[in-house]
Order: sequence, then C-alpha cells, then structure tokens
Amino acid sequence: MIKFENVGVVYPGGVKALENINLEINEGDFVIIVGLSGAGKSTLLRSINNLVKPTSGNVVVDGNQVTNASKKELKKIRSDIGMIFQTFNLVNRSSVLKNVLTGRLSQVSTIRSITGLWPKEDKQIAFDALERVEILEKAYVRGSNLSGGQQQRVGIARALAQKPKVMLADEPVASLDPVTSRVVMSYLKKINQDLGITTIVNLHFLDLAKEFGTRLIGLREGNLVYDGSVDDVSDADFENIYGRSIKSSDLIGEDD
Amino acid sequence: MINLPKKPPPSLMVFLGIPAAFLFSYFCFSKVGFNLSDFRENLQNRYIVTDPLFNPKWSWAIENASEAIIETIQIAILASIVGCFIALPLSFYASQTTNQNKISFFLYKSFLNLVRTIPDLFWAMMFTVAVGLGPFAGVLALVMFSLAIMGKLLSETIDSIDPGPLEAAKSSGASHNQSVFTSALPQVLPNFTAYFLYIFELCIRASVILGLVGAGGVGRIIETQRIFLRFDRISPIIVLILVVVILIEQFSVWLRRRIL
Amino acid sequence: MNLPKQPVQQKVLKYAITSLIVAGSIWSASGLEITLEKILKAPEQIAILVGAMFPLDLSQEAIERILPKVAESLFIAWAGTVIGAIFSFPIAFLAANNVAVNYVSEATKQILNGIRAFPELILAFVFLPITGLGALTGTLAIGIHSIGTLGKLSSEVIEGIDEGPLEAIKSSGGSKINELLFGVVPQVMPTITSYWLYRFEINLRASAVLGVVGAGGVGAELINQLRFRDFPRAGTVLVATVVLVLTVDTISAAIRRRIIKGRSIKIDQ
Repeated sequence: MIKFENVGVVYPGGVKALENINLEINEGDFVIIVGLSGAGKSTLLRSINNLVKPTSGNVVVDGNQVTNASKKELKKIRSDIGMIFQTFNLVNRSSVLKNVLTGRLSQVSTIRSITGLWPKEDKQIAFDALERVEILEKAYVRGSNLSGGQQQRVGIARALAQKPKVMLADEPVASLDPVTSRVVMSYLKKINQDLGITTIVNLHFLDLAKEFGTRLIGLREGNLVYDGSVDDVSDADFENIYGRSIKSSDLIGEDD
Repeated sequence: MINLPKKPPPSLMVFLGIPAAFLFSYFCFSKVGFNLSDFRENLQNRYIVTDPLFNPKWSWAIENASEAIIETIQIAILASIVGCFIALPLSFYASQTTNQNKISFFLYKSFLNLVRTIPDLFWAMMFTVAVGLGPFAGVLALVMFSLAIMGKLLSETIDSIDPGPLEAAKSSGASHNQSVFTSALPQVLPNFTAYFLYIFELCIRASVILGLVGAGGVGRIIETQRIFLRFDRISPIIVLILVVVILIEQFSVWLRRRIL
Repeated sequence: MNLPKQPVQQKVLKYAITSLIVAGSIWSASGLEITLEKILKAPEQIAILVGAMFPLDLSQEAIERILPKVAESLFIAWAGTVIGAIFSFPIAFLAANNVAVNYVSEATKQILNGIRAFPELILAFVFLPITGLGALTGTLAIGIHSIGTLGKLSSEVIEGIDEGPLEAIKSSGGSKINELLFGVVPQVMPTITSYWLYRFEINLRASAVLGVVGAGGVGAELINQLRFRDFPRAGTVLVATVVLVLTVDTISAAIRRRIIKGRSIKIDQ
C-alpha cells in the first residue's frame, strides 16, 4: 500500500531528517512509529502525503508515485490520505460541521465551498463521520467550545470525511491527558478495524504503542532501527530506539 | 577592590539621536515662522474668529447643512464597504502565510503601501479632476483610503494566524483557494469586522473635509462659508458634525460588542 | 440517524449583517446618484489623468518651486509633533487614572477627547484669520490635534504599567515624585517615544494636505497645478510627496523598532 524507496530528507541548512529509508506498509496495517522527538517521525509521516518533499528516493502510495507527482496528481493522492494533527488544527471560529466539511474540499467545486452550498451527499458524509466518533450532537457548536479530546475526535471525523484509504496521525494524543488519549486511540483503532483503513500513528508513549499497535517502527536520528510486531518488542529494543534507558516520561501511565 | 563591570559606552542613538532631534526641532520651528512676540500680536486679531464662532446661527445651519451631512455619511458608508471588501482578497495575496509566491506577494504588498502613502485629500483632488466634481470623486478617494488601511491591518493579521488548519486542508487535497477560504478566512473574520467598523469611523471623519476640494459632503458648505469668514454659520455645522460623529462611534462600539 | 438542527440565531445574524451591508450600500449609492455608467467610465478617466502626468515635469524651475514646498510639509509635521509631544506628556499623567485622582483623570480625558474630535484641517482654517496664511497656522493645527491624540495614547500606556516597581519605591520611602520619575517614566518612555514618531508619520500626511486651506506645505501646490491643468507638474508634486512619505515612514519605523526592542549590550567577562 505504501512503499518507501531509499527515501532521504535533508532540510535547508543541512539537517538530515531521514536517511535512506526503505519500508513497506500493507493495506489495513495499524503501524505505530516511535522515536525521540527530532528522530524524524513527523518527517516520515509528512513525506507520505508530500507535505514534506523527500530530497532523495521515492514514496509510492497505492501504486501512485507521490514524490514527483504533478500538482493535480498530488491533490488526487492527498484526497485519499486523511491526516490527524497533534494540535488538532481545527478552525476554532467555525462550527464542527464546517470543520469536518473541509475534508470534502477536494471533491466539491471551489464555488460551492466558498458559497457554503455543500451538496447534500457531502453533508451526509460529514454527519456519518461525526456519528462514528460519537460527537454528532456537537455539529453546530464552535470548535473553540470543545474540550481537547472532543476537538481531536472532530479532527478524526474531518479525516474520515475524506473517505481515505490511508490515515496518518501525527502525535494525535500528545496534547491530551491519559484518559482522553486512550479514548482517541481506541477510535483510531476501531476505525482501522471496521473500515480497513491503513493507519500510521506517531507516538512517543511506549505503553500506548504496545497497547494499541500491531506493527512497530522505530526511528533514531533519521534511521530505521526497528521494524517488527508489537508483541515481539522488548525493553532492550526500546532502549536501542531511544539510545538510552526508559524513563517514566516515556510512558503515559495508568489513569489515576 | 572588587572588579567593577565596565560601563557600556552610551548608545549611538542617545549620543547622536537626541541632540539631532533638538537641533532639527529648532530648525523646523524657525522655518515655520514660530515666533512668540508675533504670535502674541496675532492673538489680538482673535475676535475676527471668536466673536462669530461663539454666536452660532443654529437655524441657518440646520436648514442648509442637514442634507450635506447625510451626503457625508453616505459617502463614508459606501466607500468603507467597497474599500474594505476590495481589500479582503488583496490582503491574502499580501501575506506570506497565504501567498507563497514571493514575487506576487511583493507586488501586492508594495501596491498597498503605495496607496497608503498618498493622503486622502490628494486622492480626492485627483479624482475630482478625473471624474468631475461631486460626491463620486469623494467616494473613490475614501475607497482608496479604506482599501489601504484595511489591506495593511488585515494582511498583518493574516501573517500571524495559526497555519495548522491551512496545513490540514492542504493535506486533504484541497486547492489553494479552498484552503484559504475555509481555513484562513474564518480565523480573521472577527478582526475584519472590527477593522471595518474602525475604518468606517475614520471615513466619517475624513469625509467631512472632502468638500474642501469639491469632492462632496458637508465640507462644500464649510468651504463657501469659510471664504466669507462666516464662522457664525460654520460653528454650528461643526457642532452638528461632532454630534453625528459621536453618535456613530457609539453605535459602532455597541455593534462591536454585540458581534465580537 | 438523528441529525442535529442548526441553531436559528447563527443564520439570523448572518442574514442581518448581509442585509445591513447591502441596504447601506444601496441607500448611499442612490443618494449620491452614483450610476453604473459613472462607475464604468471611471477607470478610463483615471487612466487618462495618470497618463497626462507622465512624463513628470522635472525642469529646474519646477523642482525649485516644488521641493521647498515638500520640505515645508516636513517642517510643519515635525514642529507640530514636537508641540504635541511637549504638551501631551504632562497632560497624559493627569489623564491616567493610576496616577491622578479620579475626577482629574476623568476631566482631563474628556478635554483630550474634545480636542481630538476636531480634524487638523478644521483647526487650521479657524486659526487662519488669526495667524495668517502660511506654515505657522498648519503647525498650530497639527500641534493641537496631536496633543489630543498623543495625550490619549500616552495616558493609556501609563495606565498599563506594572505597578510592582512603584510599590518597591514606595516601600523604600520614596515620594510620589520619586515614584513617577523612577517607577513610571522608565517604563513608559520607550512606548511613548515610539508613539511620537508614529504620530510624526501621520502628521506628515496631514501637513501635506493642509495647503488646501492655505496653511502651508505641498497641498497648495498640488491643487494649483491641478486647477491650471499642468498635469506633469502635478505628477511631480505627487511623486515628490510619495517619496518623502515613504522615506520618513521607513526611517521612523526602523527607529521605533529599535526603541521598543532596546539595545543589546555585550558584557565582557
């Protein structure tokens, strides 16, 4: 489904964010990427939808070349990839429904989206997405009036409204407390299982990774240092990924 | 003996700037002919102005200026609406957050700066020559005036919006215009409304003087009476205008509280 | 699925605002007799005027006539700003409610509002019969208007200060004057000076137009050249004004940034 071929990213200024990554992710996988901050997790995720353009190598999604795609092809590819952000990235002043409808932008004409005359089907898709994360009753509430966990569920609904084949989540729970984090992770997991959407999540909490992931990828200083099943991963592997011993701040902990 | 830290040398700004400012001030005052003894002498002529100024002819003013005051308000309403709505799309081109093309960004930004540089009454003079005397020239002048202020304020606001939602829209495959419209515009709409009301107030004040160069509004009447030194007719008009300006400002403050 | 209903008031507010804007525009446009025909003709008329201004009149005679007028606008603006700064500074303390007693501060604020309400141009022609045609009238008009605006802004700066240092001075036995000099003034000075400069930028535009009523500066020159239909020369006036304003804006903005940021001092070890 997703293939990295010798992908490298060097930022202007010479910082190497990713080095020679080769990776294949299968349809329906629930992959968790762990690593210290600055290890290249976010860059890896963003190279899948070309928000970060690799400086070498290729990314292929669903048989389409991403890295060298034209503007038009890129829009088409991106419309099949939903993305969830650490800071939710909702338009706070707009209603929940409007935020979720942004996920339909690639499917409607500019005129319709600007005048707010959304087709009935697209509105229905947005409502369905909200229903799936159980926040439908807040459809006309402003984004800013929701709690962090609720905002992230809207973020998930927005990505779902794209009817994506792939779902990317960049540190989706980093701004949330432990209880809410688990709720958000379970929604992601459930969507993966019910709809078969290939899901890739960046996390830095090791216990959450073990709890929800099936496949685990470890990054360290831009290099792939672990790739395997969550069940096989040992503390030694984690220490290798982190380059140091595990601290309590690497764990989200139990609810208290 | 403890080791005292070295005192930093006086800054160039203080060392040169302040004496320069004093010298320049002295130079300017001599150039504009500021002279206390002349000034005292001049003050003895004040009765030419103050006597009529404090004997306002109210009935004359109400009878002759009411229509022109309404015209003034209409100029301000139309010009601030048109100017601000023209500035709305321009502002997104004049901010680097929403316009990544460096050349077009620079062109839009420079255009807005240029328009802002020319004083409102200069615009009015030019438009009276171009399209003829009357309120239409005044409207055009204030359109430029409000366009420039809104363009500056709004593009600076856009510079500081949260780029996250824009990235989110972009990552879902939305076109650039769609992303800007759905993710950037709602973030600045409250600012736009507040700036609009502020600019409307500025336009009301500015439109009063348009008539001095023949661009419509109550200034026309002030100008003719001024030439004949009829300050007894001018003073009530000025008071009337002040009342209108204050009423409109109060309304605008009230509206701002309701909407924002 | 049980769909939620869109709250009515969201829609009502949207329609109310839209109709207010549309109704206001229509009322104004019809009252001013602005027709579609006029609007459509305007771009061409403006293009003709702009076309007539170029090439600019750069003859020595024109330059010798125009430059002194442009410079006069600069002098008027600076002198006016200085008057505004000198008088508004003490007044601002009287208007600040954390320095002056309540009724003094209220009364001073009302006076400042009153001054502010008169545009420079109106002040200028009221002074004109007293102080005569020329730059002095313009300077006074700008100076007095600036007292109003600078007084208001400065008093707001004073009201926004951190009260901690004042308390410290008071607790160490300092007088009220000590509090003002060592507690308030150092805190407000950078912001207030940068407001003075900002006012200078605004006053430059104001002084450029004052010539219209004969109060000195470049405005008279523009209106005369336009009246005599000497468009290349009018163009020169306009360009000269734009260059002056842009230059002053740039320099003044740079100084303001520097004042607000403060100087970074390297400390030798």
